[in-house]
Amino acid sequence: MSEKKSAKAKRLKTAGKLGKLMEDYYTESAVVKAEKKPVAWLTSVAPVEVCYALDVFPLYPENYATMCSARKLSAEFCAEAEAKGFSPDLCSYALNSFGSIYLDKGPFMGKGLPEPDMLIATEHACLSMAKWWEVLARHYNVPLYVVDAALPIDEEVTSYQVKYFADQLRELVAFVEEHSGNKFDMDRFKEVLGYSDEASKLFTEVADLRKTIPSPVTPVEIFTNMFPLVTLAGKRESTEFYREFRDEIKALAEKKVPAVPNEKYRLLWDLFPVWYNLRLFSYMEEKGGVVVADVYATAFGGRIDISRPFEGLAERYVANPILTSGVPNLTELYKRLVKEFSVDGVVFHSNRSCRMASMGQYDIKQGIFDDLGVPGAIFETDFIDPRTYSDEQVKDTLDSLFEILEARK
Amino acid sequence: MIADFQEKYSNRHQIAGQWKKDGKKVFGYFCGYVPEELISAAGIIPVRVLGSLDTVSLADAHLQTFICAFARSCLDQGLKGVYDYLDGIVISKTCDITRKMLGIWAKNINIPFTAFIGAPSKRTESARDCLTEEFRDLRSKLEEFTGKKIDDDSINRSIEIYNNSRQLLNELYEMKKADNPPLSGSEFYQIVKTGFVTPKEEYNEMLSALKAKLASSKPSGDGKVRLMVSGSTFEDVNVLKMIEDVGGNVVADDLCIGSRYFRDLTQPASDPIRALADRYQMRITCPCKHPSDERLYRLIEEVKEYRVQGVISIVQKYCDTHLFEYPYMRDMLQKNDIPFLYLETEDRMGEEGQFKTRVQAFLEMMG
Repeated sequence: MSEKKSAKAKRLKTAGKLGKLMEDYYTESAVVKAEKKPVAWLTSVAPVEVCYALDVFPLYPENYATMCSARKLSAEFCAEAEAKGFSPDLCSYALNSFGSIYLDKGPFMGKGLPEPDMLIATEHACLSMAKWWEVLARHYNVPLYVVDAALPIDEEVTSYQVKYFADQLRELVAFVEEHSGNKFDMDRFKEVLGYSDEASKLFTEVADLRKTIPSPVTPVEIFTNMFPLVTLAGKRESTEFYREFRDEIKALAEKKVPAVPNEKYRLLWDLFPVWYNLRLFSYMEEKGGVVVADVYATAFGGRIDISRPFEGLAERYVANPILTSGVPNLTELYKRLVKEFSVDGVVFHSNRSCRMASMGQYDIKQGIFDDLGVPGAIFETDFIDPRTYSDEQVKDTLDSLFEILEARK
Repeated sequence: MIADFQEKYSNRHQIAGQWKKDGKKVFGYFCGYVPEELISAAGIIPVRVLGSLDTVSLADAHLQTFICAFARSCLDQGLKGVYDYLDGIVISKTCDITRKMLGIWAKNINIPFTAFIGAPSKRTESARDCLTEEFRDLRSKLEEFTGKKIDDDSINRSIEIYNNSRQLLNELYEMKKADNPPLSGSEFYQIVKTGFVTPKEEYNEMLSALKAKLASSKPSGDGKVRLMVSGSTFEDVNVLKMIEDVGGNVVADDLCIGSRYFRDLTQPASDPIRALADRYQMRITCPCKHPSDERLYRLIEEVKEYRVQGVISIVQKYCDTHLFEYPYMRDMLQKNDIPFLYLETEDRMGEEGQFKTRVQAFLEMMG
């Protein structure tokens, strides 16, 4: 998320606003801590709306890891965690987080994240999150609540699975009340849910505007602009930001202003960006390859039925198609995206830190090719730890995809 | 006697092939969180899908190198047709890899029936309510597949058979508390593994006969260093033989293919589905579940009960949940002055040879 300085991001008026939102957020976290107001650390795809409704400041070690990576700190942090006995095979977001804590270093004011007063984790995006949060709970000796999920795969989410998650959301409210001393208010909660739902709706609209040929928005703009969706879900500022972002991109789409001047090949991206090398997108763009679809950014959103606040929020988190799909449904989802976004080729980032998300890519790639004749390429790296990254190998893989695409034009 | 168990395990695929010829249905399951009792009550023989020491050739086209050897080997066996006798597979939500395996199997291997249990992690009442519903769904799916109702009586009978089986294994395990345990570690874990692939009624008879025989037999394992093995699963019991060869004996375990599988029995209740849900949600936890501290507390307790002199951790490379807990476990053992050796396995043929010097040094260090 460091590319706000790049020429591409500055193309948009909203780019400056994003920088301001991020800066304000981290400045506020330090102020909140200094005033001894409660701070919670959350995993991604955790119900942050409960924190905002109860005036608890949420911090995200995962989002923080992407920033450490962009500032070239992750290699040092991961190595520190490994020296303490954590396997180098573990998720580098987690290793980065441990290393930053042990060294008390980070991209903001030179220190690590403000310490948590409570910890909130989900585990339906991956089990490692709960394990990682257990380590944090022991380290800081603060209370931990894990919102567990009974999760299907390649089947519809059932009513009892939603109920189980919703029951825990109610427990989570009691947990946050207890450890913050703040009182829950249903009207305030609904207001927060309203902002969160609206932000998600607006962001999805932007993502969908990429169906326009040429695409009015770059992948770097999409990935960096995810920040408020993750960290500020439920804040008015975040929703306002997305409205402006949507309006700006919509205007560009209507005027058919290309985000990238020579859009030749429209690409689908799976899944994580390479956070220390967002320039890979520019590399592809120089060759006319523009990422116009992905399932990563929108995986953080989802609509909320506010008339049933707890069940509605539970459905949003549990019935997330990315997290409830295996190879068969993901293949169908990607095929649908290929058609709707007029995709010419698929780029798969096989991320050694996320076995869960990367597993199945070989079969999905084959499935898309067999059914639609659309080719794909898979390169392997780590999403934040650059120690094993080989620029040459990655570019070779991308080049061979462009050769195939070129031959077809 | 142990040879019978060994033989059944070695010939498991041929034996299952014969069941099929006899008109029986066979299902595969992937870990100790699948309620075999229900599958068995449906008149289907459940067998645990396990890896093999064969060189992996076909799975590499489907899985990245950073997926554990267990998942890789199982899939490879499936792709090679070793499991062609399976009429179905059932997977429960434990690790992310096992969960995602379902779709890769479904796409590439012809299996008429698949079911996934979206099992919760926690042990709260609400989690048990949820698992009860998951199990009811599985029951309906099994009924639909066989075309026959599964009544409560047949589930109760199945629970009783499985309880007997687990009870017998607990009794054998208990014998390992003796100064000179009548079964070595490699023998015991061979016996447990045979149970995964043998119909339980037949297996229970084998266990009862073995128990009677052991009561009158001379104990083995004299003067060996008493060890515990901790981890998930490993294919090669030769690792345990190697430990015995260099002067150790595994008398206790914290393994997915060991006591974590058989420790807990199902408590009878008026609703057998609820009884099963309680059993599976309250059983000793796998590190995939939260909170998982209890597993480690019990490990320390058992070290005392079984007078264990050292713990050897055999962890599958790339097994995230075990790896996350390793530093905590190491610190906990250190605090309790329990010697500890960490080995990472990739389930390769002959791997025990590479571990041998490290185990020797570990045993020497303990004097």
